[in-house]
Amino acid sequence: MRSQSLLIRIGVAFYLVLFFSYLLGPLILMSITGFNSSSFPQVTPWEVLSFEWFSVLYNDDRIINGLKNSVIVGFFTVILSLIMGLAGALMLTQIWRKLRSTFYTVIIAPILVPGVVIGISTLVFWDRINVMLGLSDDSFLHNGIVLTVLGQSTFIASYCMLVFVARLQRYDTGLSEAALDLGATHVQTFRKIQLPFLMPAIGSAAVLAFLASFENYNTTTFTFQKYPTLTIELVQKVRYGINPSISVLAFIIVSLTIFFALVHEVRTRRAQLAVANGAPVGAVSGGGKLTNVFAGNPAAVVLALFIATALAVFAYAQVYDPEPAKAVLLKKKRADQQKRIKALQERLRQQRLREQMSGPKALKPPKKSLTPFGNVFAPKNLNQVGGKRKPEPVSKKKRKSPFPSPFGNVFAPTNLDKVGGGKNKQPGAGRTTREKRTKRKHRSPFGNVFDPGNLKKVQPGK
Amino acid sequence: MKDYFRTNGQVMGWGLLLAVGFWVILLIVLPQISMLDFSFRNNLPPPEMGGPKDVYKIANYKYLVFGAPGNEDGYNRVDLLVFLRTLLAAAAVTIFDLVLCYPIAYFLGQSPGGGFTRVLVLLLIIPYWINEILRAFAFRIIFGDTGVINEFMMLFGLIDRPIDFIRENIALYAGLGYAYILLMIFPMYNVIESLDRNQIEAARDMGASWWMIHRRIVIPFAKPGISSGCTMVFMLSAGALAAPQILGGPSSLWFTQLIYQWFNTGGNWTQGSAYAVVLLLTCIVIVLAVMRLFKVNMGDIGK
Repeated sequence: MRSQSLLIRIGVAFYLVLFFSYLLGPLILMSITGFNSSSFPQVTPWEVLSFEWFSVLYNDDRIINGLKNSVIVGFFTVILSLIMGLAGALMLTQIWRKLRSTFYTVIIAPILVPGVVIGISTLVFWDRINVMLGLSDDSFLHNGIVLTVLGQSTFIASYCMLVFVARLQRYDTGLSEAALDLGATHVQTFRKIQLPFLMPAIGSAAVLAFLASFENYNTTTFTFQKYPTLTIELVQKVRYGINPSISVLAFIIVSLTIFFALVHEVRTRRAQLAVANGAPVGAVSGGGKLTNVFAGNPAAVVLALFIATALAVFAYAQVYDPEPAKAVLLKKKRADQQKRIKALQERLRQQRLREQMSGPKALKPPKKSLTPFGNVFAPKNLNQVGGKRKPEPVSKKKRKSPFPSPFGNVFAPTNLDKVGGGKNKQPGAGRTTREKRTKRKHRSPFGNVFDPGNLKKVQPGK
Repeated sequence: MKDYFRTNGQVMGWGLLLAVGFWVILLIVLPQISMLDFSFRNNLPPPEMGGPKDVYKIANYKYLVFGAPGNEDGYNRVDLLVFLRTLLAAAAVTIFDLVLCYPIAYFLGQSPGGGFTRVLVLLLIIPYWINEILRAFAFRIIFGDTGVINEFMMLFGLIDRPIDFIRENIALYAGLGYAYILLMIFPMYNVIESLDRNQIEAARDMGASWWMIHRRIVIPFAKPGISSGCTMVFMLSAGALAAPQILGGPSSLWFTQLIYQWFNTGGNWTQGSAYAVVLLLTCIVIVLAVMRLFKVNMGDIGK
């Protein structure tokens, strides 16, 4: 990547910045919303710096309960996945050559199979076993935690298996043979020789498995029954009404992630451990590169800074009181509202005056804008009502239009005349003066219904 | 078999067999078969299972294609359209990710690997550790009516009223693309990193253009990584459930959401199983097609 020219270099830098802002921007923005006192998670308009959402999160029973279930499920999933993954990897090294690729395909398949399908098949299968065994509906096979662990382990074991396979490739089978020759039993060989060799891989596979279990949704959503995990609770929350306490949770997770990444880096650097299998995530997608990633960074300094910042923020949160600032903001908001209402009233008055002069034409829309939700309709909307606004083409967005009358001016009495004029243009129809006028301007097959000039044109006619 | 027990011993041998057997038979193979079997059955309450009404039929699949019996339309347009749109959208997301990630993977793979590269890789990984739901949530904040993008565009006068990104599904595609970026980058990065830089130098010395180098050297070499990344991203986006639920517009469904509805609100498990089988078969066909097309084998995928 030795770019010859400055231009390429700038291009690359620009692309990198763009890419990483796409990657990290959402997380940063989300974290920021956790500190805004506004009850809807937003960055703009910024209201007041506030830590209240932390306590909202902490007092949310459903989240805490979900977290508990997630940890339980994660713990058992890790154990089951590690055992099955390790067994699968060991089996792969010694299975007959012919069977080998089939076996590999079967145990790698759960990664590629959609999580939804795994969830469903687990649910259906164990439900039928339950029926077959004649067990009641609340037997252990209907227990959400058991089902979730089984479902998740199905594919998480494949991740673990990949990590172990990578590590086992470097294993010298001579070591096992030597141990056996020296009189060790098979179990002893496994425990004293293979297991220590596999230890780093077991560590990273466990972390990987726990993370995968913790954030799984697709499979869990079919199997959780009465034990919603954190992810399930989060989805429920996000779908039905959101508030910034979720941002706070995200912020905490982001901070923890950075913290552990830094700790890992510091430790790797100090101990210069040659962790052959690298960190968990790399392993999923074929890692093994993370060793170099974490080696030799001035991470300790960053870590120290990070901890210091965290402590400072915590201390500040203890003494900081957002109430005065909030009160100021509330006052300002009220004043703003008053101002808007006044402006609105003023405009309404003028509107009425104009109405009296221009006849009943504009009667309909203003009636609507008399609603008490003055600030919903920005002042400029009234201008539009004033009769200059063109009827806009019918589109999906119309529904969302802040235009006071939901149909634009389509139903304004004058429109009928216009449309009538357009129709009159058909051969054989009588020619009125109005029709002539429309024809002059006519360019589209729809008559002039959408012509911006229509309203102006029609008004003098009244 | 004898060899197997000689190398592993009785205890270890049986232990291994038990663990692998449990995994392969009880967790992988039988559930899938049971789901397939279930999808052909009537939707019956448990007491009637195995009774006279419990017969095999293909009505559940017919429903997906032709709609409910007596449907005048001829085809179940709604569901088929959802299915097709899911596949197309997943393909679009995959291509978007590929185009976005290839330069980064190439840059990382070919850079000398100093501290800067390490920091970049670390930054790549951090978002991946954040819960998928929370990432989708972040996109909802950004793309909402009062989200950052709308506010900024309105501030600069580009638009005069918020664009409904959620309804237009832009938020969904951006969120899906975002969620699986890492699964695209890492396979490519790993392969490109092992490419001998001398090859590129040589090509350049011989006068190959920038485009030629990529087309003739880098891309053919990175093919296993590319196909593996594409397969993963495609599968995951087609099978995504949370992101469409959170970011999808109210009028557009993802195929997985249909399945979810059959199971939860619809209460018709057999119908849901039939839909799930269709999804599974489609995925298998697509994986096989990609493997055939790029001439890679199973061992390369998931590397």
